[in-house]
Amino acid sequence: MTRILQSDNLDKCVARWREAGLTVIGPVKNESSSSYAAVEKAAEFDFSLIMPDRSIKELFFPQTEPMLQYTIKKQRIDTSDFTPPPEKRIIFGARPCDASGLAIDDPLFGWDYKDNFWFQRRDTTVIVTIACTKADDFCMCTSLKLVPDSTKGSDVLLRPLQNNKGWQVEELTDRGRDAFNEIADLLQDGSEPAAPTAVVAEKFNLDTCVAWLQKPENFESTFWREISMRCIGCASCTFLCPTCHCFDFQDEGDTYSGIRRKNWDSCSFALFTMHTSGHNPRATQSARWRQRIMHKFNYFPGKFNVNSCSGCGRCSRQCPVDMGITETLQAISTLQP
Amino acid sequence: MVIGYKPGTTADRRRPHFIRTPEEADQLVLDSACITNLSGYLVSEGLLSDEKAVAIFLKPDGIRSINILAAEAQLNIDQILILGFDINDNQVTALEGEKVEEFATLIESIKEQAPDALKNPLLEKIEGMTPKERFTFWQKEFSRCIKCYACRQACPMCYCRRCIVDCNQPQWVNTSSHTLGNFEWNIVRAFHLSGRCVGCGNCDRACPVNIPLRLINAKMAQEVLGSFDHFAGMSHTQEPVLASFKKDDSETFIL
Repeated sequence: MTRILQSDNLDKCVARWREAGLTVIGPVKNESSSSYAAVEKAAEFDFSLIMPDRSIKELFFPQTEPMLQYTIKKQRIDTSDFTPPPEKRIIFGARPCDASGLAIDDPLFGWDYKDNFWFQRRDTTVIVTIACTKADDFCMCTSLKLVPDSTKGSDVLLRPLQNNKGWQVEELTDRGRDAFNEIADLLQDGSEPAAPTAVVAEKFNLDTCVAWLQKPENFESTFWREISMRCIGCASCTFLCPTCHCFDFQDEGDTYSGIRRKNWDSCSFALFTMHTSGHNPRATQSARWRQRIMHKFNYFPGKFNVNSCSGCGRCSRQCPVDMGITETLQAISTLQP
Repeated sequence: MVIGYKPGTTADRRRPHFIRTPEEADQLVLDSACITNLSGYLVSEGLLSDEKAVAIFLKPDGIRSINILAAEAQLNIDQILILGFDINDNQVTALEGEKVEEFATLIESIKEQAPDALKNPLLEKIEGMTPKERFTFWQKEFSRCIKCYACRQACPMCYCRRCIVDCNQPQWVNTSSHTLGNFEWNIVRAFHLSGRCVGCGNCDRACPVNIPLRLINAKMAQEVLGSFDHFAGMSHTQEPVLASFKKDDSETFIL
């Protein structure tokens, strides 16, 4: 026997959580684009999406965020901090790759400095993940040693029922249990089997790729130029990525007052590493693409013991020139180590 | 070098592809899915600097892009060998000619059809809105912008080595993707493309959040066509519409 949440009861759950002061967020598709967005009713969710176009990252690390306000006066400078809104949230229907992405970035945001903008949101958000029962040509979680029903980064894992009328409930953390205690009377015991999880073919051998990347002589390989020749240098891949986390500070205002903001930045941009002298250590697009791959599969695991990729495939799915991590790692796995 | 297309990740996708030897020609494909305008690659850093000829697969919109890039002194047309093709009803047909001048008659006929071709039901709906409604429409669309600059990077006309939004000493245009920043960026780009956009759709397809950028550019193309009888990419000597000046101009001001 497992605990079951019936789809018919979801609207009541949404209402209950909202009454309890939670902002309820989930996969939503409007006419042209999809994202994780706040809803008022369960009917607004769209669980048919493979995954929303935009990753879950923006709910924890927004594309632009005010950090502090400053006023320069005759004798002094006044500053005041911004803090993230203290709202409590529940994300219902996260994908396992998105939830994993958050767990991957936790050590980064808490490494030499604890980023409260990130952790305040992490601490007040319940993540209810729905295991995937379908995948598309770009999904690659299994190549990253994850699975379509991964529990990584989730507070509750739901498995869709075979009859498509609800989900099996697996509570994973105290935060998840607390949120589901709110709706305990709306759950039932049942023996309805879960639908099989999606079959995601392994697209490359990660260990082979990592071994190649770790060899110092491959840093200067002509491979990088060949594989990235068609890269146009936009930030679609990095900005849609659930784990890419680079940002830039900008002061917006006039000479006397303004706001300091934290904005997404991307290693794809030429400006990203431009020195004030005009020298750019990553002068070419191939050096920038190499950095993205090296960072995710060599430098990041070297520091945090985990790859900075959860296999969602958005980088390839949305690339204007059909590039992405999959193609690059597939090509690397065929090279001589 | 030949710049063309090869099969992509899925059956309906094509990738830009570069080949250097005759043996590699087998890697190329040409079919109705080859819709990306490849001309922007010609102005990527270093590609034409060895002064060798480059052959490139181009539809009529891409051929017009070559004219604009030449008129704006970004490339030498003698270096460009055009492998022209068109797609009608999912059928690919070859176009006669190799040098950009040889497509002048074709482009002339495209200009004649332009007033009708630029019409779009959604554009007409937007034109019928009050300024406030129109602002609300674009505010909603731009609210999704994440400033990934895929529109700029995919555009053959956005060849500036340093875009105005990347000029950061001082930072002329906000990098933030809040309402103001998103309006600034998208309006700056619309103005810079006025009279230069060939409507290839690269920006629109590249946008990962599906902002209907084609509408803005089509509107600007209508404006320059109606006001100045200017149709982008007619010839490699055509004066850029926003960079030409006549002493007997009937207007008393500039922009």
